Amino acid sequence: MASTTMTGQAFFVLTALADGPRHGYGIVGDVADLSQGRVKLKIGSLYGVLDRLAAEGLIEPDREEARDGRLRRYYRLTSDGRQALAEEAELRVATARVVRTRLGLAGGEAAG
Amino acid sequence: MKDDGQDLEDRYRRVLRVLPGYYRDQWEDDMVAAYLDSRVTGDEAEDEYVAEFGRPALTEVASVARLAVRLYLGGASTPRRYFAWGQAVRRAVLAVTLVHAMAGLDALVLLDWNRRMVSWLPAPPASLASVTPVGVLPPTVWHLVDCAWIVTLLALALGHYRAARFIAAAAIVPNLIWLLYGEFTGTLATLAIGPWAFWILLNLVPVLAMAAFHRDAPPAARWPWLVALPAGYLLVAVPLMVVKATGNGAWLPDNSGLLCLLVMLACVAHAPRALSRRTAVSGVWSLTLTLLAALAGAYRIASLNDYRRDPHLIAVGLVELLIMVAAVTLVVTDAGRTQAATPPPPHPQLS
Repeated sequence: MASTTMTGQAFFVLTALADGPRHGYGIVGDVADLSQGRVKLKIGSLYGVLDRLAAEGLIEPDREEARDGRLRRYYRLTSDGRQALAEEAELRVATARVVRTRLGLAGGEAAG
Repeated sequence: MKDDGQDLEDRYRRVLRVLPGYYRDQWEDDMVAAYLDSRVTGDEAEDEYVAEFGRPALTEVASVARLAVRLYLGGASTPRRYFAWGQAVRRAVLAVTLVHAMAGLDALVLLDWNRRMVSWLPAPPASLASVTPVGVLPPTVWHLVDCAWIVTLLALALGHYRAARFIAAAAIVPNLIWLLYGEFTGTLATLAIGPWAFWILLNLVPVLAMAAFHRDAPPAARWPWLVALPAGYLLVAVPLMVVKATGNGAWLPDNSGLLCLLVMLACVAHAPRALSRRTAVSGVWSLTLTLLAALAGAYRIASLNDYRRDPHLIAVGLVELLIMVAAVTLVVTDAGRTQAATPPPPHPQLS
């Protein structure tokens, strides 16, 4: 389990793996899509995050596939990773709800 | 035609050589595959051109360099030798920051004393007059620098690394301005290497080395470093102040000599643990002291140039250096033991 606060990059990488295994560049593309282009992971940054998540037991290698003479390694969430992502998502939803309430936007917590 | 006989993959692999070997064994091929994928445009001619003549973008190189710093100055999940280096650099940075903070506290106490902020204290002797560097910057800036180092130490000890980096980076700017102003106006002595060595070795290097306080770094031992400031002030700054107050300041070593003597005392104090080889953690402190000795030694040697017309002071400086080197030999073997290669941490392997 993650013992420290999850970074934005780690959150997006775990989210990219939530619906199935992906290889390195697949994660980069999915993170860019998920963040609407705001998070553009460099390869050095991506593998820093993957290394940390693997060390924390949140992701693991899934399989390797050969393409264009190169091996692509796919990664998947572990059960701990799935749980950590769910907890982080809950936290972010709750935070967003408070923000919407304080800003007086629809979808915030009911006053009372 | 390729000018270096290499293609994009070779060039990217060459960039990846800055990463530790254990990490490359685990991730290099995967990183290369992902990187080459990221350069594919779908246009066959352009892809061929990029594959042959393309070079990794500076932003990609920078991301690999940042990763290398994080791995070499590692956290708890890196192999022991890199963790030891990381811890040693972090402690050395804390120690240098502590020295700056002690000097800053000393300067602020003297300022308050000279301004008679505490009415019941007698007026300080003339030898303890509060002084700030003469030049383009007003005294207030130097007082803020003194405060900034104290705040930097507190921020590092309390785990506010980003704030510490920002404040320390700001704190070293006035000294640089003062040096540049002195060089351009001629108020700095010709070939004054000492002040520049001070700025580079004890201002710039520690600020750059604060990169070791990254996300994976374990938190510093909070209370020992917080207590070290008042303790160090009482044990080092106050005795120095007493010597100056009694008119014996001429006997005191200069800044670099004082640093050499402080490192020497720390080495002697640590030597029993280092020589007993009973504690595994002693090696990190030995490595820390070796790093500090290298820093103080380099500063001592560089600042000797400022005494080139006084052979007596050069001899004194060399004696200070030799005493410190002799003390460091007590811990350097223990420091070397932390460098013994150890197996990489267990990473999940593809089954």
